[in-house]
Amino acid sequence: MCEISRRGFMVGCSAAIAGLAGSRFNTLAFAQSPGNQEVLLVLFLRGGMDGLTLMPPVAGPDRGYYETARAELQVPVTGPNAALQLSSQFGLHPAAAPLQELYQDNKLSIVQAAGTGEANRSHFESMEFMELGTPGVRTTPTGWLTRHLQSSAALPETMIMPSLAMGGLQQTSLRGDRQTVNLADPGIFALNTGPWRWRDAQRTSLRNLYEADSSLLHITGLQALDAVDVIDLFVSDTYTPANGATYPSGEFGEHLQVIAQMIKLELGLHVATLDLGGWDTHANQDYWLPSLLTELSQGMHALYTDLNGSGVSDFTQRLTVVVQSEFGRRFVENADDGTDHGHGNMMMVMSGNASGGLHGNWPGLAAGQLFEGDDLAVTTDYRRVLSEILIRRLGNNKLGVVFPGYTDYSPLGVVAGTDLPPDYKGGPGSTIFSDGFESGDTTAWGGG
Amino acid sequence: MARSGRRRATADPGNSPISRSIRRAFDDAAMRRSGGAGLETPASRQGPSRAPVVVPPVSVIALSRAAYGPRPGDVAAFDALGADDDQRLQAWVDQQLAPGSIDDSAAEARIAASGYTTLGKSLAQLWADHVVADPEWSERIRPATETTLATFLRAAYSKRQLFEVMVDFWHNHFSIYGWEFYEAPTWVYYDRDVIRANALGNFRTMLEAVAKSTPMLVYLDNWLNSADGPNENYARELMELHTLGDENYYGAVPRNQVPTDAQGLQAGFVDEDVFAVTRCLTGWSINADPWWDLESGNAAFLYRSDWHENGAKNVLGVQLPANQPAEKDGQDVLDILATHPGTASFVARKICRRLIGDFPSASIVATAAQVFLDQSTAPDQIAQVVRTVLLSSEFRTTWAVKVKRPFDTAVSVLRAGDADFPFIDDDPDTNTFDWLFYNTGHYPFGWHPPNGYPDFSEAWVSSGARVLSWKLTNWLIDVEDPSGNYRLDAFAQTPVEVRSANALADFWIDRVLARAMSSADRQQVVDLMAQGVNADFDLPLDTDSELRDRLQTMVGLIFLSPDFLWR
Repeated sequence: MCEISRRGFMVGCSAAIAGLAGSRFNTLAFAQSPGNQEVLLVLFLRGGMDGLTLMPPVAGPDRGYYETARAELQVPVTGPNAALQLSSQFGLHPAAAPLQELYQDNKLSIVQAAGTGEANRSHFESMEFMELGTPGVRTTPTGWLTRHLQSSAALPETMIMPSLAMGGLQQTSLRGDRQTVNLADPGIFALNTGPWRWRDAQRTSLRNLYEADSSLLHITGLQALDAVDVIDLFVSDTYTPANGATYPSGEFGEHLQVIAQMIKLELGLHVATLDLGGWDTHANQDYWLPSLLTELSQGMHALYTDLNGSGVSDFTQRLTVVVQSEFGRRFVENADDGTDHGHGNMMMVMSGNASGGLHGNWPGLAAGQLFEGDDLAVTTDYRRVLSEILIRRLGNNKLGVVFPGYTDYSPLGVVAGTDLPPDYKGGPGSTIFSDGFESGDTTAWGGG
Repeated sequence: MARSGRRRATADPGNSPISRSIRRAFDDAAMRRSGGAGLETPASRQGPSRAPVVVPPVSVIALSRAAYGPRPGDVAAFDALGADDDQRLQAWVDQQLAPGSIDDSAAEARIAASGYTTLGKSLAQLWADHVVADPEWSERIRPATETTLATFLRAAYSKRQLFEVMVDFWHNHFSIYGWEFYEAPTWVYYDRDVIRANALGNFRTMLEAVAKSTPMLVYLDNWLNSADGPNENYARELMELHTLGDENYYGAVPRNQVPTDAQGLQAGFVDEDVFAVTRCLTGWSINADPWWDLESGNAAFLYRSDWHENGAKNVLGVQLPANQPAEKDGQDVLDILATHPGTASFVARKICRRLIGDFPSASIVATAAQVFLDQSTAPDQIAQVVRTVLLSSEFRTTWAVKVKRPFDTAVSVLRAGDADFPFIDDDPDTNTFDWLFYNTGHYPFGWHPPNGYPDFSEAWVSSGARVLSWKLTNWLIDVEDPSGNYRLDAFAQTPVEVRSANALADFWIDRVLARAMSSADRQQVVDLMAQGVNADFDLPLDTDSELRDRLQTMVGLIFLSPDFLWR
């Protein structure tokens, strides 16, 4: 019988976990207490993805404004490189053909003109506003996903690996979360060096050292040791995608495969973060963007294909992928075949439960409709999209904790699910903001 | 994905670290520590009670924060510099701030013996050999490769430690992703003539050297910036990252929303300033003819007057007249930014964050910023700011407020262990080090965005950076030279009379940490060495290679400990 604590990383059934190495975990634990088994993947396009190239207007007066503003960089509506049909008014860049297929199958919802609404064109501030979940405030000690994990009442009783941050560093949306496994490649994430005779003995001593205190280093060091054990126990060395899914070569495709593998291993993965960078196209955008859009589109499509099974193996029914970038790019291109920092941008939501279609109000591209006369305006707060996923898919209505200060939620309808009344309680000043690691509180970092 | 070499679960789960971690599942304290019960008060989320911070001697603080950790003998040398801590610290800081006066022949001999071929090349020569000649990729990027190897080598072996720390600081302040098409071939020049030449010098001079440097002009696109085609990439980061900082960015709002001083100077910048500075820097480009074919030129900075936008500009409330002489608009911008109180504050805060801790007090930042402003024309302006920070009481009274990053960790292991490690291109051990270090996520000049590697502990305590730094450390204590000797040879450095587990632990704790561990932590080190044998009994290290392996492992444990990772 398992004595189980919710959201305790590696807090599970001792003998059971060891015995289950390499096999499905859900048969035991999830049968007892299913909880919410959804997986949210937050894919962040670092650098400011040009949504007006990925999804250009193809008809109407906005097409005219677009062709004027993007004399060199426009996606044509005719010829071999013509935009793919999306709706009567919008197309997709031809490199994004895999997204067109998902869109036509209603597995991809697109939100137009989303953003923070902050008047800010800094990459670094805009990313922090979004990932901390507090537009205008960068001192928030925890990311929005961290606060979701902390506040959700819907999570299963057992989650061996509730959150996974792919890449070299843990994403800001998971800032302050000590349970997150952060890795770039499970194949190298191991403590398998040092004189072999004494490795296990050293591991035991090391754990004792890190259990002896509760400084930042001790807490995180212990979690790192746990993470090594989880990967060692559960993750096999090889992974073969299902359904002939073909991931793009390179780091992004490899990271997506790791996420797919972790989902299938049933480790209780609930939240994952992943980046694709290189979108800051101030020059030669027409050289850089098509390959990036291909990588993005193929990657998303491969993940969906890989996870698309039947019955309990249809992981797409539990998967929601949200794609965002810190801002869109300037409407008028610059003279270097590039675009500078802008404002509003599209978001995408891919899921077996997606509603499909275009969402949000399109503000238009006429001079008077642009933000400061320069950029696509923001008509949808990005928190509205994320809140809908939180409520409808992840079953967490504590918006006041996850997005303090955000109070006018209503669903756009990007995904199917059950609506819950939003709970706006919490936020700055509540205990969730006092985890002992606040900015400026150097005394809380003691140890050593 | 090719994966190999991972350790599988051990056959005897009863005593493995894994089963211990699972047993911990039933430990209430552990659950609370991992936040297991969700919304709780801070007190209930504590694990074991927090031990009080023991501030180490000033020598250890200085050698750990203003240097890459003590080598054998460094603490004693520090202590010999004066009669009390004040004298010693001041003498050490002044010595370190005059790097040219420090005999560094040992490190220079290592560099000379490492077979580098590009470190002496001029910009023009680098360009000719590694760009125009269009060699294969490994040769094209050789200047970046050799700069990286020399960076590790100097951090580990140079006596000009503070200088190396500041070089790293400025590389991250004026951060460029170095492994690119035009950036990598010019990297020797950027490191040597731009960063190192000014690392303890004058900020305004360095700012201009960066602005006119080939890799920065390419990386942030200013070489393309012209009246007909303004490109604001560099102008924005010049203000947000290099000078005023994001803390002085007021956003995309009208400039009349920004407070001004009595002379009308804005307290910070808005997007209108980004656009104005962009116009000021039009024509700051790179020698080439035709202009778009960089390989037709010599990579030198070139001001293109016909590309310059000659209208009047308003930069931070300062009116610049139309039709100024060549470069004058840009020079004015650099003057305004380099002497702006916001820049002083932003740069001083970052220096304090590097040398003291993540969240330095407002008072030390203000003090350092004032020195920055007062000495804005001094040739040793930066050295004076650094000196102020290092001689502050805050520097010597704080500890455990900063965590070593992977670079600091790896280099301080080599230093404390007096390792003889090669940083030679294509040496097999160098290659393995390179791969293991790359995996830590902190590869030199490898940060893609222009803001440099994060300098907050929070960024470096995630499991990825921690585990892969540990992995590299354990490899370093296990790697052998071609003769079969450990490159970091603990036994060879252990006096013959030190043979019991207690004595071995104490000797190596003092060597590696230059201070005591808590008695509980020390006991873990002793127990690992003793393996059940009476810790006062001498161990036959001289005749038993397994015991010598165990000693290496014990030293490794000290390197992996929390005590070693604080700075």
